[in-house]
Amino acid sequence: MIGVNLWRKLLAAGALLLLWEGAVALSSDAVLISSPSDIAGYLSENFALIARASVETSRNAFWGFLWGNAAAIVLSATMLVLPRSERFLLALALLVFCVPLIASGPILRVLYGPGTGPQVTLAALAVYYTTLLALLVGLRAVSQNWIDLMRVYGRGPLATLMRVRARASLPYLFVGLQISAPAAFLGAMIGEFTGAERGLGVLTLRAMRGLETDATWSLALLSAAIAMTGYGALGWLGRRAVGYAPEILLSAPRQDADQTWWRSLGQTLLIVACVVAVWQLTMDAFDLNRFFAKRPGDVWGFLIVAENRDTLVAALAQTLGSALPGYLAGLSLGAGLAALLILWPGLAQATLPFAVALRAIPIITTAPLLVLGFGRGLAGTTVVVAVMIFFPTLVACQQGLRQTPGQVADLFRSYGAGRFVFLCKAQIPAMLPAFFASARMAVPAALLAVTTVEWLATGKGVGVLMATTSSTSNYNMLWSCVAALAGVAAAAYALVAALERAILRVYASEQLT
Amino acid sequence: MTQPRHLTRRFFLQTSAVAAASAGVPAFAASPTAVNFQLSWLHSVQFGGSYIAKQRGYWSDLGLDVSLSQGGPNAPVEPPVVSGAALVGISAADYTAAAVTQGAPFKIIAVAMQKNPFAIASLAGNPVNEPADLVGKKIGMAVANTPVLQALCTLNDVDIDEIEIVPTQYDPAPLVSGQVDCLLSWATDLPVAMTVQGVDNTTMLMADYGYALHSQTYIATDDAIANRRADLVALLKGEVMGWTDYLADTDAAAVLTAEMFPDAGLDLEAQKLQAARQVPLMFTDLTEQHGFGWFTDETVAANIETLVLLGQEVSADLWDRSLLEEVHG
Repeated sequence: MIGVNLWRKLLAAGALLLLWEGAVALSSDAVLISSPSDIAGYLSENFALIARASVETSRNAFWGFLWGNAAAIVLSATMLVLPRSERFLLALALLVFCVPLIASGPILRVLYGPGTGPQVTLAALAVYYTTLLALLVGLRAVSQNWIDLMRVYGRGPLATLMRVRARASLPYLFVGLQISAPAAFLGAMIGEFTGAERGLGVLTLRAMRGLETDATWSLALLSAAIAMTGYGALGWLGRRAVGYAPEILLSAPRQDADQTWWRSLGQTLLIVACVVAVWQLTMDAFDLNRFFAKRPGDVWGFLIVAENRDTLVAALAQTLGSALPGYLAGLSLGAGLAALLILWPGLAQATLPFAVALRAIPIITTAPLLVLGFGRGLAGTTVVVAVMIFFPTLVACQQGLRQTPGQVADLFRSYGAGRFVFLCKAQIPAMLPAFFASARMAVPAALLAVTTVEWLATGKGVGVLMATTSSTSNYNMLWSCVAALAGVAAAAYALVAALERAILRVYASEQLT
Repeated sequence: MTQPRHLTRRFFLQTSAVAAASAGVPAFAASPTAVNFQLSWLHSVQFGGSYIAKQRGYWSDLGLDVSLSQGGPNAPVEPPVVSGAALVGISAADYTAAAVTQGAPFKIIAVAMQKNPFAIASLAGNPVNEPADLVGKKIGMAVANTPVLQALCTLNDVDIDEIEIVPTQYDPAPLVSGQVDCLLSWATDLPVAMTVQGVDNTTMLMADYGYALHSQTYIATDDAIANRRADLVALLKGEVMGWTDYLADTDAAAVLTAEMFPDAGLDLEAQKLQAARQVPLMFTDLTEQHGFGWFTDETVAANIETLVLLGQEVSADLWDRSLLEEVHG
């Protein structure tokens, strides 16, 4: 059986390569597209160079992966043990994730000087947030009965965390880690744009500008392959480490007192004040020059001028207009694909490699090709944003679909329900916590993606305002854009979270604390 | 083309170092001063003269230990220079003027590219040979560079509204794939890449049509000029010597660049062509007369006029020639 399957796969791969080779031979754009034989030729000719670059980027990605995920674990544990800190820490984590590379790049380079510091930091920043959100869901995917039991035995939140929640969170942790692998790699590559001396990111940049098409394609494929290896290895490790199918039980709905509006308003204001203080104090602590590291006061002073504010607001409106369709498309694509893959598991083998690849190749390589295919209008923007965000949604939703409570599955089975009915009535409701977690994850990712497309392809919106900084040194505008994007991200996040609470109250009340 | 003055100095430095060494005393009592020099882009022969200065020991002879930090898409030059992480940076007159407007205390202390490298690149089959040819064409460029195109149009009585601006990344692909008719790019990078890849192309140098703007300028802060003057002069001296050697043999500069940065993925042919193409931008009658990096009140005045077209009001105080005068004095 296995032998036949393997042969079939090899044949399919061979046919695909031949088709590709033939298509390139017939194509008129031969300068821009490489065939498999060109790519193989390039890789063998430049083996030493490529090997050194791959090791460099992978090493930075590895350290970033470790640091970022360690930070996520510490943060999520803190939030569970000290629930009062959760809102503040989550807001801070979101806002830090929202700072675009164009603002953080120069700061990291000045802080670290030459070396790999910025690459490792950016890889860590690329992963901590998704893992954090996945873990928070996992740590709560615990039956209320277990929590009650711990309480009856007089054990505190720390014991519950270590004995009950940590175990329950393992499948989610591995989802987070799996999503992290390509993200860390991409982060390390993008980090090389801050003036790194070597690595795959540096080579990619050079190849694109040099019209070295074979090099560009080889580097993209190689990046994708390395990221896929990481993804696959973690998946394997996850199956080994978890080693058991988590028994998921139904929880009784909780009665949650709704917060009064003035209390939540007060809380929000407090968080804003804390964030502003952290912003100011961090920059002061590192003695970052005010020329490029603008403080909250500088941004305020810039934005009270009506002209500046109008420019920013107009650009922001354009950006949101192009971000929203891509965001919705990406989420639907991710969740829809996850559902399809559950119905037809065979599809997974064919599609997942593409999904991982799209996530692992820098947007500056993929975006021009997507723009070439879909144009510079709304369609092109929507596609690029959707491509950038659908992957975490897909992986999280796949995991979520597997979280269907055992009693429910038994019930459907005993009534002889079909696969489709089971999917719609049992699995999709079980997927909802994971789906909403990824919907929240996707908010900052969509904003970062749309600003990149604006800079590379549409020439509109906040992305252009930010990109212009490199020639105008208008760091006031840059940090105003950062603040505005962070504000939008926080608001969108809150909106998704409100929707989530309303829906999860019905389907997964253990997630509401 | 050679400048015997520098050879003399080099000869003097080397002989005195040898003499000192043979006498059993170190050539320089103090250890070399560490200096960080922030380049504006990835390592390439664009900075060939600096690599020669480092490789041939011109800087170490002058008591400097220079590290050359490369730039990149997210590595702007101004922040490290303003914060003191780099003593000198490579910028351009318009970038420097904008940074000064934003409060950076910069001066331009030398000019590597006398002629601005911005050009309109097009395919040979559909060429842009002069500004008037731009009418009705699609130009691929970063939207941020619109003022540059506007200035070219104003200088040559072309209506910018008759040109369709297509936002693209800095990459020859949009031109080669026919998404645009021409690109706003440097004459020394994307066109070189196309030529090396066998794509016939035409470049129209904007400097030939009135766009007078110093590029690859050396910038330093007022504080550095006041307090680290000797280091700045030594750094510029090494630059002048390195670029003089560069002019004598651009192929050698390309080979040296490829050897010094084996991890950069440089194509030697492209580097040689780029090295040759930037010679007319860097070495003019002015530099032959006064030496590498020089500028005069007239060239500064021409720059100020172009900057006005770019929407920037600056005075001649942005330029400070006193260090160059010490170098060439």
